[in-house]
Amino acid sequence: MNDVATEEKLKAASAAAERPRRTRNLEQWSRRPALPETHYVDTRVYTDHGIFQEEIEKIFNRVWLPVCHESELAEPYDYRTAGVAGNKPLVMVRGPDRRIRAFLNVCPHRGNTIVRSPAGTLLRAEPSGNPKHMTCMFHGWQFDAMGRCAEIPREEQGYQDRLCRADVGLREIRSAVAYGGFVWVNLSDEGESLQDFVGDAFDFMKTELDTEPLEIFHYQKSIIPTNYKLWHETSREFYHDYMHYHNRATGMLQQGYFDRKYSVFGNGHAATGLTTVAYDAYEGSKERILTFPGMPRNGWKQLNIFPSCTYSLRTSCLRVSVMTPINERETLIEIRGLGLKSDTPEARQERIADHDVIWGPFGRNLIEDLLAVQNQSIAMREGSGSKYLIMAREENETIHDEIGLRSYFAEWSRRLGRKAADPTRLMEE
Amino acid sequence: MKRIVDPQTRQIVADTIYDSSLALNDEDWNGFLGFCDNGSFHYRIVNYSPEIRKEQCWMDRDWKGMKSLFDLLPKHNSNHSPLTRHATVQRLGHDGADGDEVLATSLLTVYRTQLDGMNSHFESGQTILFAVGKYEDRLRVDLESGSAVLLSRDVKLDTRQIDVGSHIPF
Repeated sequence: MNDVATEEKLKAASAAAERPRRTRNLEQWSRRPALPETHYVDTRVYTDHGIFQEEIEKIFNRVWLPVCHESELAEPYDYRTAGVAGNKPLVMVRGPDRRIRAFLNVCPHRGNTIVRSPAGTLLRAEPSGNPKHMTCMFHGWQFDAMGRCAEIPREEQGYQDRLCRADVGLREIRSAVAYGGFVWVNLSDEGESLQDFVGDAFDFMKTELDTEPLEIFHYQKSIIPTNYKLWHETSREFYHDYMHYHNRATGMLQQGYFDRKYSVFGNGHAATGLTTVAYDAYEGSKERILTFPGMPRNGWKQLNIFPSCTYSLRTSCLRVSVMTPINERETLIEIRGLGLKSDTPEARQERIADHDVIWGPFGRNLIEDLLAVQNQSIAMREGSGSKYLIMAREENETIHDEIGLRSYFAEWSRRLGRKAADPTRLMEE
Repeated sequence: MKRIVDPQTRQIVADTIYDSSLALNDEDWNGFLGFCDNGSFHYRIVNYSPEIRKEQCWMDRDWKGMKSLFDLLPKHNSNHSPLTRHATVQRLGHDGADGDEVLATSLLTVYRTQLDGMNSHFESGQTILFAVGKYEDRLRVDLESGSAVLLSRDVKLDTRQIDVGSHIPF
């Protein structure tokens, strides 16, 4: 920006500061913000059930979603279950060939859930099935670790030649293991590959994530009464650092904090680049020397993958949070903490302690974030009078610029064909 | 571990666990720390996750770490709904090289009475069951003075979904 333009902006800001301040009546309160439509959101995008259903159909059923980490099913025949995109039941299984595959966790016979535990091994037989098989407890149909039907009790007597095992394999879901060993799925058989979906968003974290295998050490989840986007947005804007005493002490008060750059990528992904954090500025915390490959001590990088996943790497520990929308008012939040698989017990303990200070369920920041998004949901429930959320901060694409929110809703609008500023209008209008 | 039958020791240990729980319930942090050995006290919150099939630790602090955690509470935006810990001592045994330490297992329930966490107009005053688990405490007992100090506390949680979490320990 040249000197003249800067001068004019400063004059305008000064004039705005002089304008008389007053409260607003209903008509004034309901008026659209005097901002470009890209810079505010109509709160109905968080509360309308029809929009939620459209999001599931047009976004969650079509994009790549991380569901678990490969270390959660480390050995052949290990499995992990999950519910994605409005709770579609999935089971991920590591086959005897060590490949991880994902299946719809629904028996093709009578629609029962097949694998019921959150995780385990198929090497242990179910009460009515054989080892190495997924057995539907209802009628004993069994499926092998590759998803093929392995057993139908009294198959020939019941179905003669009209139906056989070859006809009733499980529905396989497109899956891939990538970006630090996460298992990603895509509910659509068609569409772009994971690499095309992600583009170059992970490039700045590649060394840290993919130099050597990672391993999970922390898992927690909560169903929070909030819209999934509100939770994801807390990872996309850093202006709320004012809420976190930890971040004020270790970040905002440190030199260079406001220079941290924000980058946006295709498909709605966004990242904040490396910054150095003074962890020891928070009493009871300490400098972080233990790192990931390529990560400087005391560093912090963060990447948000559209529509509902965040990788946050704070020097010694990687936190990956995944949001699963249940309905427009409820979200399952899963948080994983990871270190290096090669960690010594001492190093692992240090990573765990570092993780828990900030992010654990007894940590300092997570609770503040969750309280905020819960209370947002209460305030903007349908009929409450809440109208618009503002995402208009422009600070040269640095840390408090709300470009991360705007890029999210640009992608949201592209996929839904609706304007976030007025979701009743279609884009072509 | 040798089970304890000596009634005096049982009484001292139980009183210490109950009084320390009351101090926490009253948010009397210094009072609670007064029951803990300031040289060796170690506090952890742990659980077993069937999702990742691992033991995991959610808090790990020494006496000094607990003190700074308590001191910084006013600086954090928090859910101020009070917690009520209900511990019942179930089992005691001697431990340590000379059998001079006592291991105590107490069943624990934690209730939360809503204040400002959610919609305070509707919900404040409601009590919910927040978590269940166990205290596994190690104490040193002084029979002469009739007192005991906590050397360590492991809070072993059965509950793994605890709403937005908690800034204060159980």
